This record gives sequence, C-alpha cells and structure tokens, in this order.
Amino acid sequence: MTKPDRRRRFDFPAIAGYAVAVGSVGAALGVSRWLDVHAVTAPVSLFLCAVMFSAWFGGFGPGLLATSLSILAFKYYYAMPLHSLAADVKEIPRILVLALSALFAGLLSAAQRRATGSFRRARDDLAQTVQALERSNQALRAENVERVRAEEALRNAQADLARVARLTTMGELAASIAHEVNQPLMAVVTNADTCLRWLAKDPPDLDETREAAERIVSAGHRAADIIRTIRTLARKSATEVTRFDVNSAISEVLALTSGELRRYDVLLETQLSAGLEPVSGDRGQIQQVILNLTVNAIEAMTAGRHTPRVLRVSSQMAGRNNVLIAVADTGTGLDPTTVDGIFDAFFTTKPDGMGMGLSICRSIVEAHGGRLWASSNSPRGSIFQFTVPAAASEALNARESRNASESLNDSAG
Amino acid sequence: MPANPAMPANPSMTVPDDECESTVAVIDDDPDIREALRGLLRSVGLRAELFASVQEFLGTVRPDRPGCLILDVRLPGRSGLDLQEQLAQANIRRPVIFISGHADVPMSVRAMKAGAVEFLTKPVRDQDLLDAIQVAITKDRARRDEERTLARLRADFDTLTPRERAVMMLVVAGRLNKQIAAELGLSEATVKVHRGHAMRKMHVQSVAELVRIADKLVSSQARS
Repeated sequence: MTKPDRRRRFDFPAIAGYAVAVGSVGAALGVSRWLDVHAVTAPVSLFLCAVMFSAWFGGFGPGLLATSLSILAFKYYYAMPLHSLAADVKEIPRILVLALSALFAGLLSAAQRRATGSFRRARDDLAQTVQALERSNQALRAENVERVRAEEALRNAQADLARVARLTTMGELAASIAHEVNQPLMAVVTNADTCLRWLAKDPPDLDETREAAERIVSAGHRAADIIRTIRTLARKSATEVTRFDVNSAISEVLALTSGELRRYDVLLETQLSAGLEPVSGDRGQIQQVILNLTVNAIEAMTAGRHTPRVLRVSSQMAGRNNVLIAVADTGTGLDPTTVDGIFDAFFTTKPDGMGMGLSICRSIVEAHGGRLWASSNSPRGSIFQFTVPAAASEALNARESRNASESLNDSAG
Repeated sequence: MPANPAMPANPSMTVPDDECESTVAVIDDDPDIREALRGLLRSVGLRAELFASVQEFLGTVRPDRPGCLILDVRLPGRSGLDLQEQLAQANIRRPVIFISGHADVPMSVRAMKAGAVEFLTKPVRDQDLLDAIQVAITKDRARRDEERTLARLRADFDTLTPRERAVMMLVVAGRLNKQIAAELGLSEATVKVHRGHAMRKMHVQSVAELVRIADKLVSSQARS
C-alpha cells in the first residue's frame, strides 16, 4: 500500500527538519556568495526561500532556526560592517525588515504545512472510513445471502412440519381410513362372487351378472376416490395453486373421516351451499385444514361424555368475495382462559398433542388471504371457521392474489 | 336345541315357515355393501331386507319373521354388539351373523358369547357367509319349531281344569294315585278320571311323556 509510505515522509524525526533548515540556509548563502563573486547583486529573497522551504519541510521550529541563521548570514556578509556580526545602526532597519519578512514567510509556510498535513490526515481518515464502510457492506451482503438461505431453510422446515402434522393426523386416522378403503373392497369382492354365481348357472343369467358388474365398477371408483384423497394429503410437493370447488374438497375429507365418525358414534350434519364461487389455492392444503379441524372436533367430543355428539360442517358465501367454511362440534368447548393461545405453536390441550395443528392451519389460511378463528358453539362445544377468497375476487385484485401466492410459498406445506 | 322328540314329525308344523319365506335382514350403513349383499343373497334364492341403521331396523322389524340378521359391528347410532343385547331384551331371537371391518378378539368373543352364529371379517368370503346364513336359518327354524311346540303344549295345558292340573303336577312329581287322592282329599277313582283326562288333553300315552312335557313347560316358564 502506498498510503502509509506517503505518511511516513511527514514523520521524519524533528532533527531532520532542523538539518534541512541549516542546509537550505547554507545553500542560499552559497548561491548568493557565488552571485556576488560574479558581480551580480545578491538577492535577499534567496534567504526567504530557504526560510520558507525549512518551515514548509520541518514546521515552525526549523523555520525559526532558518530565520535566525539567515539573519546572521545576512549580517555577516551583506550588512555594514562586512564580515562582522556587530551591526551598524544604519543597517538595523534592513536587518529588521529581513527578519520580519523571514519570520512572516516562515509562519505562513509553517501554517500552510500544518493545513496540508491536516488535509492529508483528513483524506487518510476518509479513505479509512470508506474502507471500513466497504468492509461492513460486504459483511451485510454476506449476511443477506445467509438470511435468504435461512429463510429458504425455514420455508422447507415449515413445509416438512406441515407434512408431518398431516401424516400424524392421518396416522391417527389410519384404522378409520383402512376401514374406508375396506368398505368398497368388500362390495367389490361380494359383487364379484355374485357375478360368478350368476355365470355358473345354466343358463347364465346375464342381466343379473351385468348388474353385479356395474356395482363392482361403482365400488371400484369409490375406492379409487378415497385413495386419491389419501395420496393428495400424503404427497410431498410444492404448493400447487388451482381453482377448485370447496364443497367437493370438503366431501372428500368427510369421506375419509366417516369411519372415525362411526367409530365414535358422531352424527354428521353437512350444510354445503350450492351457490359457492370456486376458490383458488392449494386444494391439498385447504383439505388439510378441514381434516385437522374435523379431527379436532371429533376429539373434543370424545374427550367428554357429552351426548349427542354432532359434527356440523357447513360452507357458504361470506359477502361476494369470500367462501366461509365452518366446523362446529358439541364437545368440551373452548377454555376462556386459554382461548387466545390456541393458534400458537406448541399450544395443546391433548396429552400427546404436538400443538402444531391449529398453528399450521392458521398459517395456511392466512397464506391464502383468508382468516381462521374460533368461537363458542351453543349450547355446548366450539366452532372453528375460516374464509378463503373466491377465485373471481382474486382475479379482480391481481396484486393481492400475487401477494397471497407469494406468502403462500413462504408457508408452503 | 333339538326339536322335541315327543312331537311327531308333523308336517303341519313347518307350514308357516314355508308360507313365510326366511328373510335375511342386512343392517349396514354402507349402501354399496347393502346392495352387494342383497345381490349375493338373490343369487342363492334368499330374500334380503336392507336397513341403514339399527333404529331403522327396530322401527320396522316384525319380531316373528323367520330368518337371520347380518350386522355390521360398527353401526352409527348404536353399535352392533349393543344391538345384539337389545334384541335379546326385546325377545327377538333371530340368529345374528356379525361382519366387521376390523374384528378384534375381545369384540368377537363378546359377540359369540352373546350368541352370534358367526363373526366374519370384511371382505367376507361368499361361501363363509352363505354357510353361516344356512346355519343361522336352520337354527332359527329349529328354534321356531320348538317355540311352536311349546306354544301348543301351553295351549293344551290351558285346556286342563284346575283339578286336572293339580293331579297332573302330582303325577309328574312321582306320586301314586293313592297318595294324590289323600293329598287332594279325593277318591282314588276320581283321581284316575282326572289323570286320564289330563293325559288325553295333553296328547300323551305314557307318564314318561307327561313328565317331559311338564319339564318343558316349567323350564320355559322359568325362562320367561
């Protein structure tokens, strides 16, 4: 680096300044003597130059030394009586003028030197500050990259967590889901047996055979529908935004939980409005929310001994731009002392609960631009309801929808 | 229980069952399964009645109908196992075949203890189910025959005069005519006449048969 070198030039030991003062006055004297010898009147200004140079190089002290030496040399060589340090009275004004001008020139020079020095120092300080700024800027940039990476990791972790929560819920339902798949399977097997029996008759009864075969087909489709829902919920994939019908999404989830309802003797009431606008969003995620709320409702009802156990799932338009989905139960209800915390992560009232379900539900709903809230059911139990903006209203507010899908990606799960 | 050996193989006794063909009541909340079972039963010439729920069954059932029940254990409203107990309480004695999506051992033990004919797991093998139905219907027919016999015996018994009944009970208790006469303050000849009337009215030829009938009547009364 060149900067520290340039600095060092001004950090000579003070003695150097004095040496320069002596040298420069000596040089000025030499030059003026040489000019004298060649019959040219020696200019006094050479001494002024020596003083200025010394003051510029070494500062005030060397300047003063050079001034003194110059006066002495001038007296000795150029003021009467010559070659003596004693001064004639008539010469005193000349010497004084020289002394004053030398002093003045020296002071100015020294002042200028100081100014230059402080200017240089300021410039160096500035350079240093700039350098420090550059360094911290680089650090910030690195930090930013780190932050983006951390955000992505968080997003992935959230998606994994949501999936784990989904799979946990489905694991809890495994017995019921197995039952739901087994039912159409039972129908298929029985109908197929029936088919074979009609065919084995002599003559085969083709009408009956056909009827039984048709029943096989419809039961097979039913099994496939159930398996498709399971796969949708279990898959690991990025957020997939589509337009879909909320009622069919609800029906699929309820088909999955009907075994659970039967198992716990829960009566299901559905009120799905026929005039719903389609919504746009991730169908699997919305189904996860419905599944979660449904399973919570069943658990709230089986926790107590209250009967009847009624699960009411409804959908309707809320205003022109939102679809409202409500899941109401007749279970233990909300505890007013903890109701504010139910959507917080790790909040749970279940002995083996993870406390992530409702927190994930809320982040999914909010990422879709909707709202999820809980209230008390009458005379007993609780109602969880959430809104999802209708697809049409989203198209009107393209910007909002873009924001929604961006934050949707943020909490993808 | 085997049919009463004292009762002659009287064809008139089976007539009501032939008139009223055995039906299989299917109680399952899954319409696909109900329809599938109806189809299977039709293919072997059996008539099925379908019910979506226990309530529906209890609301429309005719207790005297011959046949059997096929029950899904996990029915909404009331579980199949509870229904079995309720049927017993309501004196509906139709044999029950359970089918279940996931039968566990305690569940099946409970069902069999409560008198289930068979406990089958979904999906059911058709032959297993049809065999179970055959067993159940045979069992039901036997039970009904016995009930009818008992009803006839009771009707016969009701035609006896109080005195004839008293004599009959003492006869089946092993008393001699002389002892009976002394106990009831009658002449031995009168006891013989009452005894003869009772045996004729009860359609028996021997004291041994009369004892058997009396046992049946007493034990059936104790049951109900």
